[in-house]
Amino acid sequence: MEPRIPERFRERYLPVVDDPDAFLACLGELTPKSFRVNTLKSSVAEVQARFAGYGIGIRQTGWCPEAFVSDVPELGGTLEHFLGSIYLQELASMLPPVLVRKELETARLVLDACAAPGSKTTQMAAIMRNKGMIVANDIDYSRIRALKFNMEKTGTINTIITNQNLLHFPAQLQFDAVLLDAPCSGEGTIRKTDSVLQEWSERVIEGHSHRQKQLIVKAFDLLAPGGVMVYSTCTLAPEENEGVVDTLLRERKDARLENVSVPGFRLSPAIMEWDGAQFSEEVSKVARVWPHHNNTDGFFLAMVRK
Amino acid sequence: MRRRITDSQYKAGKEAPAPSAADVLLYLEERFGLERALFSDYGLYATSKGRIYIGPKRLVNHPRIATVGLLIARSQGAIKPSTNLLQLFGRQVKKNYVVLGRENAATFIGGTDVKVTSGEKGDASDGYVLVRYLDFSLGCGMLHGSDVRNMLPKAKRLKIAYI
Repeated sequence: MEPRIPERFRERYLPVVDDPDAFLACLGELTPKSFRVNTLKSSVAEVQARFAGYGIGIRQTGWCPEAFVSDVPELGGTLEHFLGSIYLQELASMLPPVLVRKELETARLVLDACAAPGSKTTQMAAIMRNKGMIVANDIDYSRIRALKFNMEKTGTINTIITNQNLLHFPAQLQFDAVLLDAPCSGEGTIRKTDSVLQEWSERVIEGHSHRQKQLIVKAFDLLAPGGVMVYSTCTLAPEENEGVVDTLLRERKDARLENVSVPGFRLSPAIMEWDGAQFSEEVSKVARVWPHHNNTDGFFLAMVRK
Repeated sequence: MRRRITDSQYKAGKEAPAPSAADVLLYLEERFGLERALFSDYGLYATSKGRIYIGPKRLVNHPRIATVGLLIARSQGAIKPSTNLLQLFGRQVKKNYVVLGRENAATFIGGTDVKVTSGEKGDASDGYVLVRYLDFSLGCGMLHGSDVRNMLPKAKRLKIAYI
């Protein structure tokens, strides 16, 4: 059943999505239950064997060996969940660390700029095998408790938590990799979060866009020369995605985009023109995730090199 | 509710006072057979509240560090190892562990104290112990005779459906 989607939402996206019927139908279905094997505590083979023993069907994704979809919703009641050997996480939300897996494997200093509740922080720590250091920052102190809990549950050691407005972050810190998973209007999470549509408006989108443009420039400034930044959101709004990346390219001439590619996962091209504005040709290197293509949340990814 | 650790309680690049960190390492080695080398890639950090954290070897210079790494022990009076520590390094624990059967393990994960047989208790002596199920490290318990008091943090306790 389709959720009650505002007319203006339809007007914005149905003309730019490849299959409007599939898109709308998908928004009315819950996302499948998915999880990531936490290799700080277990191995893919061990978790597969345990789930086979339970009789729970799980399917490994073709684009991330640690990512699985499950037939059974009660993953939270498994021993593996208790132990922190698996981490319940929506598939699209696993993409940013996967995109820079090679860089993370050798990175010494990494910034997760808007880290709470820590899904991507703990995923990056696993890729880094608890080596190097992650600075996991969040402006909202009330969300740091969840971040801390997830770090402890997953056995994440190589991370410190900071509680600061990113815009005030010490300029002398220079990171090998930065993840800016920016606060956003969350349109991509409609499938699991009813409140997104209730609170949806273009005014909300504009507010997020304004802030995201400040954050992306600051996050880029914290990147060491040669470093890589991933900018991601869980929204479909071009004002919060392509428009934000376009602003960075105009404000920082040393910012270079790299093609976003995750072999085995279907990514879609950027929206290059929106609301009368034409984005830089370079913006074509970013990628969108439409929910109906991979049966996930909607998502956006850009990879920036300094 | 966990108290906020103020910024001044961490000093960038400065490890915990040697006696405190050393005490914890000595305890973990003597009680559980956890060798110091396991922790040599990391730094140990103490707060004024007697909590010991394991984290990156060196910290960055940042004015608003809220917390570092993983809480491994509290050391007010006696040292108490954390469940998080025992879960992460449990496979390296060589002594003072109990091995529960399936039913007892589910009960323990749910937050209840359990009784152990002499076979489940093995050579463990009274005091803090690692509680295992098969070769999985469930967390910390306090052994007294044949009773294992549940030391799992409340937030971690779980009604388990698949074990």
